[in-house]
Amino acid sequence: MKVKITYCAECGYEPQTLELAQALMYEFAGWLAGIELIPWDSGTFDVSVDGELVHSMRRDGGFPSADTIKAAVRAKIEG
Amino acid sequence: MKLPRERWEQGLTYDAYKAGMTRNGERVEANERRVVIDPESVRMVRDVGRLNALVLAEDWCGDVIANLPVLARLAKETGTLDVRVFYRDQNDDLTQRWLNQGKYKSIPVVVFFDLDLNELAHWIERPASVTELRARKRAEIYASRPDFGSPDAPVDQLPDDVRAALQAELAKMREETTPFANAEVLRELRELVAGVRA
Repeated sequence: MKVKITYCAECGYEPQTLELAQALMYEFAGWLAGIELIPWDSGTFDVSVDGELVHSMRRDGGFPSADTIKAAVRAKIEG
Repeated sequence: MKLPRERWEQGLTYDAYKAGMTRNGERVEANERRVVIDPESVRMVRDVGRLNALVLAEDWCGDVIANLPVLARLAKETGTLDVRVFYRDQNDDLTQRWLNQGKYKSIPVVVFFDLDLNELAHWIERPASVTELRARKRAEIYASRPDFGSPDAPVDQLPDDVRAALQAELAKMREETTPFANAEVLRELRELVAGVRA
């Protein structure tokens, strides 16, 4: 399973990106094939799990809570 | 609105702000060098007399990296603008006064004051003309390469090489539109300053 976090580098979203990545590393270390961090622009903060977009700042607004993303990862593991 | 003198004096000079930057210092210096300040802008701003310019900024912000050097060069060329920089996230009392559309903490914010620190005018983030041009150019880039997909689709779905190519095209576009963007920032700032006299 792979998680991708696309973040707006020009907006200074690195802290939120690293915080989320760290939360996933602690929670799912043995389940993840990788966490990819993609610097982008235009106010982006997207998180996908195995290709499924589980959070989009543009679509959903704001940053996701770590619990929301963890639940999405857990659902993939159990599904 | 009048700003207390002691609050104003807590701001950093532009040189002190640059000295304290933790990143992007080279980009700021490069932008500063390439800004073209025309004689008419210098004349228009000088004619207004001495002013204070408060800036809200953060060193990670692309719009600050791009636009603060325009103000700094204008201040240097005219010799009539005293610029003081405040970090947005450390100065929420100031940040809350000049929210974009009343709710967004967009930066840079430039607020012009007279020498008694009475607020005269303010400017936020970037010119609308720059946003519009870059949105149009961005759409053209996507239209020219069907493999880039939709501008609204998540870029993490693109193959790595396609994403890298898209990133390069967008960077090239930003570079090519920088002279226009700098000129528009300069135009808006000088018109704002000229307007405080009118």
